[in-house]
Amino acid sequence: MKTAASRARGVEHDIVQAPQVGEVAPYYEPQGNEVAIFEAAYKRRLPVMLKGPTGCGKTRFLEFMAFQLKRPLVTVSCHEDLTSSDLVGRFLLEGSETVWHDGPLTRAVKAGAVCYLDEIVEARTDSTVVIHSLTDHRRKLAIEKKGVEIDAHEDFMLVISYNPGYQTVLKDLKPSTKQRFIAINFDFPSEEVERKILVKEVPGTRPEIAQQLVAIGRKARLLKDHGLEESTSTRALVYAASMIAAGLDPVTACQVAMVNPITDDTELADALMEIVNAHFA
Amino acid sequence: MTYTSAINKALAGIRDQSVVAHREVEAVLPAIARHGDEVALQWLAACTALFSFERDAGKAFIRGSLEAEKVSEEVLPWTGQAMAFMQWRASWRALEGFMANVARAYGSLGHAGEQRWAEIGFGWCARQIESGAAYFSTPVLDLAGRHGGIAAIEQIAAPADELYESRKLMLATYLPGAIRVRNLLGAQAILPWASRGADILQSGRARGEAYFRLESEESLSLLLEHLPGYRLTDRNRLLGMLLDVWFGGEFDLRESTWSPEKGRPFIETDGRSIYFPAVMADREEAILALLHTAGHLRGRTFDRGAMQQMFAEAKIDFPKTGVVSWAPLFLRFGEDALRFQLLFDICEDLRVDFGVQRSVPNYLRRLQRAARGIGVRHPETAAYYDLALESIEAAIAYLGGAAADPRFAGLLQPGATVADAFRAAIRLHAGSTLPPVTELEAFLAAYLPGRSPNAARMAHPQESDDQSQQTQAGSEQQSEQQDEGGQETEAPQNAESGDQRDDGEKKEMPSYGDSSGQSARASSESDKQGPNQGSSDKGIPYPEWDYRESRYKRNWSWVQEKRLAESNMGETNRLMKQYELALKRLKKAIQAQKPTRMAPLTQQLDGDDMDLNAVVAFVAEKRAGQSPRPAIYKRREIRQREVAVTLLADMSTSIMQHLPEGGGRLVDRIRAGVLLFAESMEEVGDAYSIAGFCSKYRDNVSYYTLKGFDESLTDEVRAQIGGMSGRLATRMGAAIRHATARFDGVESRRRLLLLLSDGRPEDYDDGGDRRYLHEDTRMAVKEAVAKGVHPFCVTVDTMANQYLPQIFGPGHYLVLDHINSLPNKLPEIYLRLRR
Repeated sequence: MKTAASRARGVEHDIVQAPQVGEVAPYYEPQGNEVAIFEAAYKRRLPVMLKGPTGCGKTRFLEFMAFQLKRPLVTVSCHEDLTSSDLVGRFLLEGSETVWHDGPLTRAVKAGAVCYLDEIVEARTDSTVVIHSLTDHRRKLAIEKKGVEIDAHEDFMLVISYNPGYQTVLKDLKPSTKQRFIAINFDFPSEEVERKILVKEVPGTRPEIAQQLVAIGRKARLLKDHGLEESTSTRALVYAASMIAAGLDPVTACQVAMVNPITDDTELADALMEIVNAHFA
Repeated sequence: MTYTSAINKALAGIRDQSVVAHREVEAVLPAIARHGDEVALQWLAACTALFSFERDAGKAFIRGSLEAEKVSEEVLPWTGQAMAFMQWRASWRALEGFMANVARAYGSLGHAGEQRWAEIGFGWCARQIESGAAYFSTPVLDLAGRHGGIAAIEQIAAPADELYESRKLMLATYLPGAIRVRNLLGAQAILPWASRGADILQSGRARGEAYFRLESEESLSLLLEHLPGYRLTDRNRLLGMLLDVWFGGEFDLRESTWSPEKGRPFIETDGRSIYFPAVMADREEAILALLHTAGHLRGRTFDRGAMQQMFAEAKIDFPKTGVVSWAPLFLRFGEDALRFQLLFDICEDLRVDFGVQRSVPNYLRRLQRAARGIGVRHPETAAYYDLALESIEAAIAYLGGAAADPRFAGLLQPGATVADAFRAAIRLHAGSTLPPVTELEAFLAAYLPGRSPNAARMAHPQESDDQSQQTQAGSEQQSEQQDEGGQETEAPQNAESGDQRDDGEKKEMPSYGDSSGQSARASSESDKQGPNQGSSDKGIPYPEWDYRESRYKRNWSWVQEKRLAESNMGETNRLMKQYELALKRLKKAIQAQKPTRMAPLTQQLDGDDMDLNAVVAFVAEKRAGQSPRPAIYKRREIRQREVAVTLLADMSTSIMQHLPEGGGRLVDRIRAGVLLFAESMEEVGDAYSIAGFCSKYRDNVSYYTLKGFDESLTDEVRAQIGGMSGRLATRMGAAIRHATARFDGVESRRRLLLLLSDGRPEDYDDGGDRRYLHEDTRMAVKEAVAKGVHPFCVTVDTMANQYLPQIFGPGHYLVLDHINSLPNKLPEIYLRLRR
């Protein structure tokens, strides 16, 4: 089975690559009307902001949508040292010449890809400003260093993700940036959907295990206000299910996938393990 | 009976002294005379001697003799011991104690043991006769404890010897408390407990004595900390989290006034709060108990409607307002009250636990496992325990699809109330063949792990309209921190004042055998104590490090935030004028070294722009046939130097001293220094706060915030700086901990705590042990560093080299040997540090 996420392993391929014929769509379980919203936004080529906690399916959703729309997906994970040159492009020396290299954003703009700036708040504010002209009616990317502007390809679309609550006290998007986007709120899926996701994502997961994992996840998320930076994500549940499918006993699987990674606080871990143990007693 | 003439002569001598004594002697003499005339004569001589030494001594001797002879079957050894008391003045009370206990000593310790017992006492008589009296008056069985033997007496006496040598602690002060401590915690706990007490005694007599009577909070909390088992007080947060997870919403968690002497620890509720003891046997029991108790609150055991119904059926008036006592429900059964109470609790607890199972998966199974795990049951109430376990097992089977046990079936319905439990209990009681319960210990042992007597506290009925429930759910978002803060500060308060407040509404758990344990656990009315109000007067607790035991003492020092009442604008203006030039110079220096915001990095392998110089060099080298590194970019990077600083000034009495070189007092220089610091900081632009501290005893550390991080330097602040003055002592560790905590929420890369001091950490209650607060301060500094706050100490104490390196570490302090340079130096030191 070939999926977009696993086309050719261990081989370089270009970041701008449209889904190919015969590929199987990435698995995504809609939580609500997000698919319809995204399609409408795409029709009008409006930039979209995906808001939601870590591991609730933002990136998977976008992979799924890009596949549905048959557009290449260019993902840039933003970090605090990311400069506008990293997005737009820069001059590099090659042999004895200086050569301009397009950055991923420029390439997406030219190719008409969906460009996904993951965790945009992490990037420095001066680099987020370059997207302003792309995100309003102009749909242009200015490349100052070359003194040119590029009109975006008609299929180009910009998507950013944004995780409120994740260090947003220190870093937040400028309001002028925020208001250029259609925003879709994500949250952890409903119990039923989450169970479905576990069973589908990890083949061999028994429904009762999925049911218990999801119940544990629900309870564990209640502890968010007690000092967890991030609550137990659907991804963590998937990991736990995977570990169980790989033969680990459920309690240990939950501990290594859902408790140990998210906290170093022994009391919190204690409370989380209390939840796990209660369900698998 | 006929005696030899010598004896008759002696008797006559006694009669001359006292007729009463003579009569008593005559009554005892036949028993003594069995040992021979010589012995009888010696005994009579002792009577005479003691009687003329002190009448009371003689009387006590004569009265105790009969029993002593009977048990010891000898006379001379104890007669000799009694004679020994004559070497001390006013020793009759000690002798009285000796004679009262000597028979018991022979009986339980044997002859050799009695000898040793007397020797220990003599040692104390020689030191202080009151201590000797206290020792001999204490029943031997109490001294020796449950496991008895002379070894136990030696164990309890040994720490007293040690503390007498080192701190002149008297046995009389120590003994009663020490016995209780030994009984609770074992002999090894006595010495640390008593040495702390000796320290406290040195700082204040009343305080120390209260400590030894186990009446003071510090004494009790020390005991509780040493108790073995699962410590709930340290796990407040975990308990809160578990409640939040399984039941949602907020519960009012409080530490109860339970102490080990009150028997088995339970988590209890009065319908409003959950009270947990300091320690429980193990984690499993504690968690089961927590869930069960929360189950009572959520399962509406205290529902006003249901309670009313129950009282109506029992034909008892139900109070319209206020707290409700459970006792009348059980007292109807007279002698059988405890039995009915147990049956009622079995029914009600089953109902509640079945409800808990709905929220907490596998709860009943867990309860069953824990209940089965307890192998030894109290023989008197084992049947009740087993019945409770049986009801749980039937409920588990019911969940699995089996038919419900008819006795309990109604309780497993979702709509069941406490009134249903009452009815079930009445039916159960009517047909019950279970044995009667008389003993409190047996009664308490009848409860499954996690369960507790539901009637232990007066009930606060929950209103039936579900209002309380809703408000609880609504306030879910209240910050957890606030919640915790409230609990922490409140618990000790409860412990302290609980007993006094009890007076208003003494618990009526009457005449259930010995119910002292229960009434002692009676709820304390605490209407006025909102969770947040409690913290205001006592302040914020911090732990303190005790190097002698290498551990932290929880909630030991209490810091109160205050505003400085004094302010003196005149002084401020005078100082501003005096240091005008210095300030100008400082400001100029600051402007000169202000950090440029963007620092260009040149010759980078990548970057935003070409570095022209590097490009030229690169091209030139290339042309020259070399292969240079293409490091030809430049990049701009923000070098952040955000610093937040707290200037924490020692405001102890010593700063009021006059300077040896004349020209005013130390406090003048400190005011000037703080003022210049503040003015310079305005120029630098870093976030800063200014505070002062002083202390008197561990529970009274004052922390004066002159300027908070978010305040600006107003004239009011300046005037307060002008009004700074010295008072009390220097408990530096607590102040550092509090200052560190105050950095919370301050956004900055580096945090600096600049401590301005004039001497070593000291307080009134350090018992002259300098090392104690030194070590604590050292730990406070370590804690601060771990929290990203860097303490730096500036001191004017020229002897500081002796202690500051150990406390702050080399390079983290500065001794100003010229006090007049302080005002100028202080801002300079900061500027140097922040570089």
